[in-house]
Amino acid sequence: MTAVMEPPHATSSGKNIVQAREVTRIFKRDSFEVLALDRATLDIAEGEFLALMGPSGSGKTTLLNLIAAIDHPTSGELLVRGENAFLHSDKEIARWRNEHIGYVFQTFNLIPVLTAFENVELPLLLTHLSKAERKEHVLTALKLVGLEDRVDHLPKQLSGGQEQRVAIARALVTDPTLILADEPTGDLDSHSASEVLEILKRLNHDFHKTIVMVTHDPHAASFAHTIRHLEKGQLLPV
Amino acid sequence: MSRARFVIKNGLRNKRRTLLTILSIAFSLLLLTLMISVYRGFYIDQGTADSALRLITRHRVSLTFFLPSSYEQKIRAIPGVVDAVPMEWFGGIYKDDRPENFFAQMAVNPEELFSVYKDWKIPPDQLQAWIRDRAGAVVDRKLADKHRWKLGDRLTLQGTIFPVNPELTIRGIYETPVTADQGLYFNWTYVEEAVRWAKGQTGLFAILVDSPESVARIAAAIDDEFRNAPEPTKTESEKAFQLDFVSMLGNVKAFILSITLAVVFAILLVSANTMAMSIRERTREVALLKTLGFTPTGILTLFVAEAVALALVGGVLGVLAAKGLAKFVANSPAQMLADLTITFPTILVALLVAVLVGLLSAILPAYRASRLNIVDGLRHIG
Repeated sequence: MTAVMEPPHATSSGKNIVQAREVTRIFKRDSFEVLALDRATLDIAEGEFLALMGPSGSGKTTLLNLIAAIDHPTSGELLVRGENAFLHSDKEIARWRNEHIGYVFQTFNLIPVLTAFENVELPLLLTHLSKAERKEHVLTALKLVGLEDRVDHLPKQLSGGQEQRVAIARALVTDPTLILADEPTGDLDSHSASEVLEILKRLNHDFHKTIVMVTHDPHAASFAHTIRHLEKGQLLPV
Repeated sequence: MSRARFVIKNGLRNKRRTLLTILSIAFSLLLLTLMISVYRGFYIDQGTADSALRLITRHRVSLTFFLPSSYEQKIRAIPGVVDAVPMEWFGGIYKDDRPENFFAQMAVNPEELFSVYKDWKIPPDQLQAWIRDRAGAVVDRKLADKHRWKLGDRLTLQGTIFPVNPELTIRGIYETPVTADQGLYFNWTYVEEAVRWAKGQTGLFAILVDSPESVARIAAAIDDEFRNAPEPTKTESEKAFQLDFVSMLGNVKAFILSITLAVVFAILLVSANTMAMSIRERTREVALLKTLGFTPTGILTLFVAEAVALALVGGVLGVLAAKGLAKFVANSPAQMLADLTITFPTILVALLVAVLVGLLSAILPAYRASRLNIVDGLRHIG
């Protein structure tokens, strides 16, 4: 969490943190087969802010899910930090995800019965941190997204923008290698969307976090360093 | 926040449903605890140490048949018999036939009763007063308290089996270790003198033996003694004799066991339904937890812990209610259940059943949730 507290001065190392080679994902629905991602090849450098754009059904979220190892490719190779997560057991993948991935959803996905503090603390329950250490990490993350005065609020007591900021705090509280955001501004008004995008930009710029953001909003995509387009499951050339 | 707190918060997310489920489990566990206690009281408990030294001899054919009073001397002559007292169920009506006025009335020999029932305590002067007064009676302390009787009070019983209405004076109040023993005892001579056909007869003999090891031998010896007599006998332990009364109600053992099984099955269904609904509603959250790094075993544990906690709270409430009810029953006219006590082992069994119900009700939906595909879970609308 020191990375969150004190921004490192280093910029992108140029080292690829994600390497996708000919990654294909086919979903089987009854007797139908849907080609969601078609031989996608992609490198994402450490410290990069990448926006994945494309129409609905183009395979953006599928690619994001594959990087997060919450889905597995039908074929191809996908390495994160040079490691193929799919070679491990379910338990090891879960631990790997907890350590390396911070995921931000379009619909926030906060647990309604937990306060902002407790929602952010959830991924830390899987670590060996003490209660005091967890508290320190959670407060730091909430402070970073500007919600240090909302720690005891339940999700229903927060605005949509605030809920998404809590979700971002939850994504970064474990100090992950990668922050993956699936349409993080999709359910927000323009003001809240700008706040969220500013936070993501700051996490990338000041804290050197590698971010992959799925969006079909050109304004949101303009916050990223790189924009890649997907269409009918195919990653279009740069 | 600890994982335990997370489980509690999840359990309380739908307070009304949680409350109703807990109450259902509590009510079922109340019934279960009572059923186990009744079963234990009837079929497992062996009574007090003094009770284990007593035998009851009655007519082999039925309790309603008399035995000759003269059997007493032959019974006393059997080695190992310490004392014996003839007893007859009088079965009269006190005041009216309302249940609260019902209590056991036995006609006995006052000089022998407390020699056989050594664990019953009566002040010596009261016992002497009763022996001296042929129309005297002694009553159990709890029965006396219930009817606010005191020494010297007079009461009349209306005979139903015997055509005589004894007018009795309370000469003694005794204490018994067992609540179900509460009753009124008066002199059999009173009945014998008023009812000619009752003379020289008795309903049964209560017999005190020298040691628990002698019980089976003496019971067999008594029955052998009268095997070829016109009135053959059946001798059994005091506990077995009490169970004979219970068996008159039908197959009580099967009845209790079937109710117990039905209760357990019902709470299992209630709890399983609640957990299935609760877990299905949280499909997206399960997917979220897995995205955050919770393992399948971690998810399974969370849901099972929630179900077990819910069932355990219901179980504790049920057991507490059962204890309260047992206390209430102890003061009710239903003397057969007057000694209904909720023992520690019974409580443990009830709580164990609660834990098992929680475990079994959640294991299948929780296992399914733990194996949920994250992508499918995140797409779930519900």
